[in-house]
Amino acid sequence: MIARAESLEHRSFWHRISSPRSIGIAGIGAGILALWLALPPVTVRTPPGPVALGVVAVAAGIWAFARGERRLGGGAAAAGVIGIAGALAAMQAQTSNLSIVFTWSLLIAATLRWSTPLTFAALGGLFSERSGVVNIALEGMMLMGAFFGAYGADKTHSWIGGVVIGVASGAALALLYAFFAIHLRIDQIVGGTAINFLAFGITGYLYNDIYGNNGTPSNLPGVPNVRLHWLGHIPAVGNFLDNSIGAMNLMIWIGIALVPISWFVLFKTATGLRIRSVGEHPRAAEAVGISVYATRYAAVTLSGVLAALGGVFLSIGYVGSFGENLTGGRGFIALAALIFGGWKPFGAFAACLLFGFSSALAQHLPDLTQNQAAAWPVLFQALPYVLTLIAVAGIIGRAVAPAADGQPYEKQ
Amino acid sequence: MASEPRVLELRGITKRFPGVLANDHVDFDLRPGEVHALLGENGAGKSTLMNILYGLYHPDEGEIQIKGEAVRIHSPKDAIERGIGMVHQHFMLIPVMTVVENIVLAAEPTRARVVLDYAAAREEVTALAEQFGFAIDPDARIEEITVGQQQRVEILKALYRHADILILDEPTAVLTPQEAQELFGILRNLVDEGMSVIFITHKLHEVLEVADRITVLRRGKRVDTVPRRGATEEGLARMMVGREVLLRVEKGPATPGKPVLAVEDLWVLDDRDLEAVRGVSFEVHSGEIVGIAGVDGNGQSELVEALSGLRRAAGGVIRVGGEDVTHASAHRMLRLGLGHIPEDRHRRGLVLRFTLAENLALHDFDRPPNSRLGWLFVDRIVRWARGLLQQFDVRGGGPKTLASSLSGGNQQKVVLARELARDPLLLLAAQPTRGLDVGAIEFVHRRLIEARDAGEAVLLTSLELDEILSLSDRILVMYEGRIVGEYPPDTTPEELGIAMTGGRGRKEVAA
Amino acid sequence: MTPLLTTVFAFFVAGLVIVATGKNPLSTYRAIFDGTGLNWFFHVGSHSIGVPFTSSHVWFPWATGSEAAFNLQQTLIQTTPLILTGLAVAFAFRCGLFNIGGNGQYLVGALVGIQFGVWFAGMPGPLHVTLVLALATLAGALWAGIAGFLKATVGAHEVITTIMLNWIALWLGSYLVGFNGPMQDPRARLGGAGVSRDIAKSAHLHVFWGNPLLQGLHIGFLLAVAALVAYWIILNRTTLGYEVRAVGFNPDAARYGGISVARNYFLAMAISGAFAGLAGGIDMLGWEFNLDLTVVSSFSVGGPGFIGIAVALLGRGSPVGIFFAALLFGALQTGTSTRNLNPSVFQPELAGSLTGIIQGLVVLLVAAPLILLAWQAARKPFRRKDTGS
Repeated sequence: MIARAESLEHRSFWHRISSPRSIGIAGIGAGILALWLALPPVTVRTPPGPVALGVVAVAAGIWAFARGERRLGGGAAAAGVIGIAGALAAMQAQTSNLSIVFTWSLLIAATLRWSTPLTFAALGGLFSERSGVVNIALEGMMLMGAFFGAYGADKTHSWIGGVVIGVASGAALALLYAFFAIHLRIDQIVGGTAINFLAFGITGYLYNDIYGNNGTPSNLPGVPNVRLHWLGHIPAVGNFLDNSIGAMNLMIWIGIALVPISWFVLFKTATGLRIRSVGEHPRAAEAVGISVYATRYAAVTLSGVLAALGGVFLSIGYVGSFGENLTGGRGFIALAALIFGGWKPFGAFAACLLFGFSSALAQHLPDLTQNQAAAWPVLFQALPYVLTLIAVAGIIGRAVAPAADGQPYEKQ
Repeated sequence: MASEPRVLELRGITKRFPGVLANDHVDFDLRPGEVHALLGENGAGKSTLMNILYGLYHPDEGEIQIKGEAVRIHSPKDAIERGIGMVHQHFMLIPVMTVVENIVLAAEPTRARVVLDYAAAREEVTALAEQFGFAIDPDARIEEITVGQQQRVEILKALYRHADILILDEPTAVLTPQEAQELFGILRNLVDEGMSVIFITHKLHEVLEVADRITVLRRGKRVDTVPRRGATEEGLARMMVGREVLLRVEKGPATPGKPVLAVEDLWVLDDRDLEAVRGVSFEVHSGEIVGIAGVDGNGQSELVEALSGLRRAAGGVIRVGGEDVTHASAHRMLRLGLGHIPEDRHRRGLVLRFTLAENLALHDFDRPPNSRLGWLFVDRIVRWARGLLQQFDVRGGGPKTLASSLSGGNQQKVVLARELARDPLLLLAAQPTRGLDVGAIEFVHRRLIEARDAGEAVLLTSLELDEILSLSDRILVMYEGRIVGEYPPDTTPEELGIAMTGGRGRKEVAA
Repeated sequence: MTPLLTTVFAFFVAGLVIVATGKNPLSTYRAIFDGTGLNWFFHVGSHSIGVPFTSSHVWFPWATGSEAAFNLQQTLIQTTPLILTGLAVAFAFRCGLFNIGGNGQYLVGALVGIQFGVWFAGMPGPLHVTLVLALATLAGALWAGIAGFLKATVGAHEVITTIMLNWIALWLGSYLVGFNGPMQDPRARLGGAGVSRDIAKSAHLHVFWGNPLLQGLHIGFLLAVAALVAYWIILNRTTLGYEVRAVGFNPDAARYGGISVARNYFLAMAISGAFAGLAGGIDMLGWEFNLDLTVVSSFSVGGPGFIGIAVALLGRGSPVGIFFAALLFGALQTGTSTRNLNPSVFQPELAGSLTGIIQGLVVLLVAAPLILLAWQAARKPFRRKDTGS
């Protein structure tokens, strides 16, 4: 697909406005502004303004970073984080130091929990799209993983069984999608939509048939947490670290580890080179003897495995149960993160963190601001999509997406 | 002769496509360490022959021998394994990857069998480039380097895979003259290192410059194979063009009137932002046909697109009837009285899934009497179409038939009907008879002459010399984006052929 | 023919799912069918019907007050928005665009419909209804117009932008009608329910068949049918439709014909969104009367916008096809609803999910008519196809 410019009638103007350089500079500006608003003498007491500015700054930073402006992008992201920190600190100024620490560790823990399913799915989408197959069926594959993860854990009485069965279900659905998308060359958007319908139907049907009104059992075996006691003993920051990442779920760690692994596979191995060549120029790949079909099948199946892992984490790593449509659109956020992160592993991961953070904010801001009546924190949930929309609108003629993404390949 | 060793021998290769005999019992052989040029016009069957050799097509008849051994080549992979490398006209390179990555793809040096050993790959590529005298930055990305360098990457790709037979398909088509000279130097190096090269082209002077032997193809048949020594441009041109009976069209002398189209120092860029038209100036008067002769890809398409408002001019001025229309939109040009028979009727000329009536209304659907205030008068459009289809003798369907269901000739008649029925001031006819049979060609030619006699200014571009010669009142030859000469209609095909292929034939200064 | 076969095949596969879980597919389908009210057409007898705006009665072969009639009314109520979202997808398709954002456009239309239905309560009914529906239509058009504008100016792919706009609309809606949101019904605040205020009586659509108090069939259905006609007329009888189709079939030829491709991308998306926005408005004014948070958040995978894709594909873009495809999915929704499906035969929750499976299969198979070709290819040894030089 996707972010390729097709009609460029005002190229130069948009080009200037949307170059990673100017976006990065704008991001740094936004971060500084956020901090300035939060600090005396201005000190805005309600956080939404500075926080939103800070988030925008981080977003601009990630966007610029993923498009090659590393120093500027990193600077903008840092400025944004400082801005958000300042805003939250100012808000907490009356309360004790202890609660600042608590606020932050809470937010960090929540951010990681929210972003982990996104990370798995986004990495899945990364492999699929890098091989040239657009995958809007990530949502469906996650949903399969979520249900079958819970089902498997229930039936085998072991979380490992849940993971295995969940992953297998995601892979099976991905294979079905691959067959239609690769062999039958159907429109990949149509196919992805259909797969989402199917997954929604299959999981809903089986859930209602097997668990009915009672829901999944409450004693469902879950993926264990990793308890890092030693973190608490580190001087000064020990308490903070222990509260935030001291007892994270195993799958959160796996998700984080998969980011560099994916990067390594895609960019440092022969296999990765071949996957990317198929996604960029399948005919050239075929001309040197690479099987386009086989590569794409493998990549799409892998994307199903990874997306399903995200679903497994949701059901038996985080929530501890399954409910109809448990994923609630996270596959689409993952897709947005992938696009926002410029089809790159670290970029996508940064976007997942940011999007996870905005979800965590939406959830926790009412508590933090001690204003339970506020309705606006929900709007933070829309932030990932607004940012991605802006990013897509700004990508002018830059071949960020793999060149053959979304184009069915016909053997000669 | 027969005792000389051959690295490659093709015998009696025949390939049929639906309705076309692309290769008709063609023989071809290649000696070690020679450059063997395959010369012929567009559609003579050169690329088909080489695609067969490279495993992209399969011959219906004939035999391929490599180093004395009869082989069957099923796929490019087979060809690569037999030591054949091919540099396609459209490069098979991945723009966002580096030179090294492109070269080693699918044959990568690895550590521990999985990790790409980029350093080793880089070293190998550098060594290879040095061995053959290529100057190239191994870490540059393909999209950052020039077309000439990209071509070297393609050659290196073949060398890296240990090719000893190299096929170059129209390699100079995308190169500047300087880059072409560099390529010839590289080819000499390759031959010195023991490679054998097949060089496909239709440019005569190149053949004489670089080839050891020359095989000429015409209409799918081998005409002859001659050594370079003793070959002349005239002789080769005659073999290429042949001596077919010219399709002379009955026409009276032209009575040119006022200039309708005036072009001054026009510059136009192609899709890759390269200069396709370089400072062209000419005029077309009412009541005359000006023909632009030239080999495909010398800027004719871009010129016509610029004149019709479909492509921005990068410099210069276009005037129609004295009015500056350099940056006019396609819509405005149509309103000014432009008729345009586009060179590709499937890409542009027709909406294949529209009915004939809808296609005939393509330029004027949005004004009376076809529509008013946005409401389409379908009956009137159909009635109008019925009349036109009859007048232009379109067979195979009525106004409500889909354009896609017509034969090529009838489709072209529909395009012709639409453009001529508007009584244009200026008619651009780009390859108006491409892919048509003799009957349809005659029909199109007659109509163009009639348009001229009705006082229209006609600019004709064609790859067919016969067509240019039989229709034009004046002939301009385009070569590498420039007009290199103006000729009267009684010029011989050989003379034009030499000018079209960059030869040093007699030139008359453009008026 | 293909759409029909596809549908049959999809039901067959779904039947296998039913068998696999130990139930009888035939009695299940029978129960669903009875719940749709489509059996009403088979209950031919001697009945009479009131002629509108008079007190006279005429003979009519079908009973208009039966339970089947009521069910049929519900099916047609469900069919109404699906016709419109199907048209939204189909219209964009005609311009070569994929509007996957029907849900977002529907929601924006619904939100505007509710807000303006609550305001202007004193207005005369017909005027109020016209105003609200016009604004809902406009809102949908503008929402989709964003995607069209980005496509036309910077070439942003409409699939990505409409997906993003879907979710923005969804969270916007969650905010507006959700807990303490500006559009939440103040009376619902204490109970914590996320639901908007009810619209004014003057904004209710007229019910022309059945009891207005029991959710009879409203005139929105007639509007949807009118939209089918309008769709056909715009495409085939106006210069706009001509341009849209030309651009959709062959943008190069359209440009050559003097048509602005960018302008048509924008207009096609806006018109497409108008259909979906109208659907949202009609649902609000016709039978929902308020917007519930649960409705908003059910749009992540399902929702009228996504089903509209199935409708447009199954209907092959023709008005008649779209009508029947929408009727099929509308009937499935009604027939599998908790109220209409006999739970002793088949659980409604299961049947609802079954609908998802059928929708998925229909879309997958309609989009891949190649399936037969592939079948043949798989049985023959793979042969390379030579194409002309």
